[in-house]
Amino acid sequence: MLIEARQITKAFGGFTAVDRASLAVEPGEILGLIGPNGAGKSTLFNCLTGDLRPTSGCVLFEGRDVTRLAPEERARLGLARTFQVPQTFEHMTVLENVMIGAFLRTSRTSEASARARAVIDTVGLGPLADTPAHSLGTPGRKRLEIARALATRPKALLLDEAMAGLTPAEIARAIALIRDIHASGITLVIVEHVMEVVLSLASRVVVLHQGREIARGTPAEVTRDPVVIEAYLGKRAARAANRDAPESTGRSP
Amino acid sequence: MRALGVAVGSVAILAYPLVFSTPFQQRLGALVLLYAIGASAWNIVGGYAGQVSIGHAVFFGCGAYGALVSYQHLGLAPIAGLPIGVAVAILIAAVIGVPTLRLSGHYFSMATIAVAELVRLVVANTEWLGGAQGLSGPPVPRTLLDLSFTSALPYYYLFVAVLSAIIGLTWWIERSRIGYYLRAIRDSERAARSLGAAAPRYKLYAFILSAALTAVAGALYAVMFGFVDPESGLGILISVKMVIMAALGGAGLLLGPLVGAVILVPLEELSNSLLGGAGAGLTFVAYGAIVMAIARFQPGGILQRVLRLRRKARPAPAVPVAQP
Amino acid sequence: MSLTLVQVIAGGLLLGAVYALFSSGLTLIWGMMNVVNFAHGDFVMLGMYVAFVVWKLMGAGPAAAVPVAALLLATLGVVCYFSLIRHVMKGPMLAQILGTFGLALLLRYSAFWYFGANFQTLPDTLVGGTLRFGSLRIESSRLLAGIVALMVTAGLHLLLTRTSLGSRMLAVSEDAAAAELMGIRPQRMQATAWALAAGATGIAGALIATFFYISPTVGETLAIVAFVTVALGGFGSVPGALIAGLLIGVIESVSAYAIGAVYKDIVVYALFVAVLWLRPEGLMGRTR
Repeated sequence: MLIEARQITKAFGGFTAVDRASLAVEPGEILGLIGPNGAGKSTLFNCLTGDLRPTSGCVLFEGRDVTRLAPEERARLGLARTFQVPQTFEHMTVLENVMIGAFLRTSRTSEASARARAVIDTVGLGPLADTPAHSLGTPGRKRLEIARALATRPKALLLDEAMAGLTPAEIARAIALIRDIHASGITLVIVEHVMEVVLSLASRVVVLHQGREIARGTPAEVTRDPVVIEAYLGKRAARAANRDAPESTGRSP
Repeated sequence: MRALGVAVGSVAILAYPLVFSTPFQQRLGALVLLYAIGASAWNIVGGYAGQVSIGHAVFFGCGAYGALVSYQHLGLAPIAGLPIGVAVAILIAAVIGVPTLRLSGHYFSMATIAVAELVRLVVANTEWLGGAQGLSGPPVPRTLLDLSFTSALPYYYLFVAVLSAIIGLTWWIERSRIGYYLRAIRDSERAARSLGAAAPRYKLYAFILSAALTAVAGALYAVMFGFVDPESGLGILISVKMVIMAALGGAGLLLGPLVGAVILVPLEELSNSLLGGAGAGLTFVAYGAIVMAIARFQPGGILQRVLRLRRKARPAPAVPVAQP
Repeated sequence: MSLTLVQVIAGGLLLGAVYALFSSGLTLIWGMMNVVNFAHGDFVMLGMYVAFVVWKLMGAGPAAAVPVAALLLATLGVVCYFSLIRHVMKGPMLAQILGTFGLALLLRYSAFWYFGANFQTLPDTLVGGTLRFGSLRIESSRLLAGIVALMVTAGLHLLLTRTSLGSRMLAVSEDAAAAELMGIRPQRMQATAWALAAGATGIAGALIATFFYISPTVGETLAIVAFVTVALGGFGSVPGALIAGLLIGVIESVSAYAIGAVYKDIVVYALFVAVLWLRPEGLMGRTR
């Protein structure tokens, strides 16, 4: 297992955001993490990346306990992430943004610059390398987020709602990019709202609801699961889906 | 084009005290350079790393007191006390920086004020540090090493050398990994850390370097003026001047502090001579207003505004219409 | 425990209550808007001078000075919010910190220029006399200050936790965007916070003026006292500021008694460094 989360609980005062959730991510797979709003996906995600310390439970990366490691140390081990709201380095160019990622693996500016350029080309931002990052629109920034993370040569890339705010055409392009990244051998964990993305990319899916895991399996299995449908749409929809069960096409709720 | 500007600027700086050669003008020039040294030192942590220290006087005082304590109690030439001042400055920077640079920037800024005041009170109440009276340097120069000159001219060129070294160091840092990391941390510390930049550590490095260089400025001050007391070596006004010169000229820009010093030092001399003692209060009212104006309207300082205007004047590079 | 020590502690608690009062304003703003007001100490200084001017013009004591100071400072707070804070909040940290720091300089040296460097005092007769509790003797001015400060701080806490205004302000501090969707106007709530915080400093200043030296530079020290109190109490927590304020008042006065008045400030500042090293999240366990 590449990444493992065991019995992660995260409480904020009296409110428990994540309740004994566990995950196992095999090398080379794409794991989807979904659930309705407030399900605790982001919280669990941030426990994996090190931005939050779980109240209890542990996170392992390549068998090693990283629960107490800071985000920068996890990055060094090969665990990279993007942010839901792109945290672009506004006052730097696109190239310089990506160089920050490249600097993890080299201390020489010329080498970091060359590697950054290569990554920028692979994500399709090549012509914009020397433009100020603040001039990019949302799809460009999201792509930049990914490029930056890729420049750190990660073993696993965790994407936090990378599709939020994109048009269907942009989503299709992003999916293609993610497939390319996956093909290059990087393991992916995707937190997503947009169902079609998860269904088309993930090999396995974990569903969270109110901090607890309620289902796991393949995308098809999970979307047919009445417990999942109920979580998203309420009891009525679940009953309706049950009635239609034989004809169910496994389309997203 | 840029190289030409640098060449012209360098010649102008080197020639200044020969062209403007009255004692007053030479002294003014030396003062501008001394403040530029202090402000450039502040710029490393305040401008580049984005950690706003408003108690930097404590490091200045370390250098000044280190020099004059070495003279008073060890009989050494004041400049020989520089390593002591730097060492104490680094220690204090670690005491402030290690706990606070892990937290949000406010804790850091608050701690710099508190520690600066703490040290000032301790020094003012410690006899062998001169107490409220302060310490003096050698009344007559004993050797050349005492660096005690009657004319401001040698100081001027000494300060040119030191300032050039600091600007050179800053220029080198800008282009190295730590420089890139500091800029990234300033823009988004979260993102920088997620990419592997150990933010607390780099901020601490910047702070320690800044503290050491500020101590150098303090030692140079002690050497030139031959006197320091809690107000002139550790007072809040020193912190204010360092910050305002760097911020006015352009925090985070290589030559910002120098620009700020060139503007403010002559202005302050002018207002002092026009308004006299009563003016002292008003000068700092003006400083407060300037600082607020910078914060409100142009946090990047004058140089940044100039750079932006130059960029607008140049035609924008062709950007592909279809964004990915 | 000797009687003198008990008296010292009592005096410390009373002054500490005033520390708690103005520090709770600082912690409120910090918790709500992630802005630290570096001019906070100088707000208190202005409150002190308001009391001085009120006495000079009308011969009146705290009964008049406190409400006047509260009102004037609250207005100043709102003006600061709209003209400065609102803008620098959106900018880099440098702009934020320089903004309030510049304001501190402006206020401090304006007072310096207008009132002169020498300190003023209000006459002892304004809130005169010493009260006796058994063998304990406490100056009425300090007792009044401490009790009023305690009441106002408690009132502020109740306002924040028990009223709808308070819950609206809390909503804005948790998530301004979400609060806006619920029909709350973040800017209005933030301006209210500034009015409350600044008003509190006005009250605190007017109270202390009855027994403290009034000088333009008093804000420097009080600002650091506020920082220690907020750090020790835990940022954003008014109850924390209350406990911490009382604690610091006692530590300060006991230090003055034990090792001399000159060193009491040093003890408090050193305490700040100790808190940062050992427990930056403070007593109430909250840190950014």
